[in-house]
Amino acid sequence: MPERAERKAFEKSLNELNENMVTMAELSELAIRKAIDGLSRGDRSISEEVFTLDQEIYGLQEAIEGTCVDLIALHAPVARDLRTVTTSLKITTDLDRIGRYAKDISEVALQFQAGPPPGLADLVKIPKMAEHTIRMVDTAIDAFVKRNADSVRNIMQVDDEVDRLHDEVFQEVVAHMETGRLPIAAGARYILVARHLERIADHAVNIGLRVVYMVTGETMPRIRAADRSKRSRG
Amino acid sequence: MTSKMTVAGLSAWYGPKKAIEDVSLDFEEHATTAIIGPSGCGKSTLIRCLNRMHETVPKARVEGKVLLDGKDVYDQDPVSVRRRVGMVFQKANPFPTMSVYDTVEAGLRLNGTRDRKVLDHAVKGSLEKAALWDEVKDSLGKPGIGLSGGQQQRLCIARALTVEPEVLLMDEPCSALDPIATAKIEDLIFDLKKEYTVVIVTHNMQQAARVADYTAFMYLGKLIEFNRTRELFEKPQEELTEKYITGRFG
Repeated sequence: MPERAERKAFEKSLNELNENMVTMAELSELAIRKAIDGLSRGDRSISEEVFTLDQEIYGLQEAIEGTCVDLIALHAPVARDLRTVTTSLKITTDLDRIGRYAKDISEVALQFQAGPPPGLADLVKIPKMAEHTIRMVDTAIDAFVKRNADSVRNIMQVDDEVDRLHDEVFQEVVAHMETGRLPIAAGARYILVARHLERIADHAVNIGLRVVYMVTGETMPRIRAADRSKRSRG
Repeated sequence: MTSKMTVAGLSAWYGPKKAIEDVSLDFEEHATTAIIGPSGCGKSTLIRCLNRMHETVPKARVEGKVLLDGKDVYDQDPVSVRRRVGMVFQKANPFPTMSVYDTVEAGLRLNGTRDRKVLDHAVKGSLEKAALWDEVKDSLGKPGIGLSGGQQQRLCIARALTVEPEVLLMDEPCSALDPIATAKIEDLIFDLKKEYTVVIVTHNMQQAARVADYTAFMYLGKLIEFNRTRELFEKPQEELTEKYITGRFG
């Protein structure tokens, strides 16, 4: 059993880790919101803010990794503490990737001229997909902050809906390109945005499953939707 | 899991003071089981009941069963039980006036073996198993207490192995040793479990995590949790275990 003074130093590092994790998570979520906002409004200054956020997220990731390595090297955590440290190390990568995808979406947005981007008003599925994805990230982050495993147990099923919307966005964009209502270059960019959103949702799933492990110690395997429906039928 | 030893409903007293209460667990053959817990939780008493050492303390008594290969050790001759269930103590205790050689052969000699060839062979074998042979082979006639702390502890392990026990009990075998000597004993525990069943009492939870296949956590004389070591340290089932191993006790 660690000595009382050692435990105090350990608690201090654990608190610092948690605070940085919460900040990083909030910034990642903010980055997606701003990326989508910048795109839909055609506001270049909002899109450019995402680049700064991405840098901050990356900096936090490095700080968190350092804290985790220190915690392991100096305090040899076990049980819930161990799960918190290893989960933080893993989630930090997911959050960093989410920040990167938000930046990628902003890069797409900046390729358009200022003002509302062409044809987006007709594409109803993209905002819907963005809304779903942001909600998934929000749920996963909230579960981490509140240490609530129950709220993310069904996150794979929620991701199925995002995957379905991803397919629908593709169909919708292609249909609009075929009729000539949407320029090919713009359509290709929207398909990219949808792809980035789909990947962000995948990272939200990772975070959710890792929160379940952190809180309960239970490992939930990631199962593809097709295999999951096979299992439930079998 | 094949149990080499089984403890069933075991309670032990020192006079009126109950040191362990209704403990039941199995010790798997050819595996290492660690017993952890705060001072005074009964972990040393528990292993001292396994080879009937507990009853050597005046006014100490035991209730319940301790089975060795299915037979209660309390229905057997204590000397023969201790031959099959050897013990290594916290502080290395080589015989103060004996040479390295004499210390290791003592067990066999006390049991009546006089054949020099047999004794030589047994001493070399035990010292090799205790990973000490290379360090003492040229000084077998020198006093055991002249060795370093870590070597003395391995000498005591060699002494325990000479009578070819089936179970080896270790009561905090590394608590007086530096990290290098500790690492040697831990490596040794790894090798020993191929031939023996090892039970180790330790204050050092990292040591339990490193060497043991199973870990038992005791508190106030009771067995709180017994599980595979990895499970116990990654995902303890009991709140009390979690609190103890993470240092959130008291």
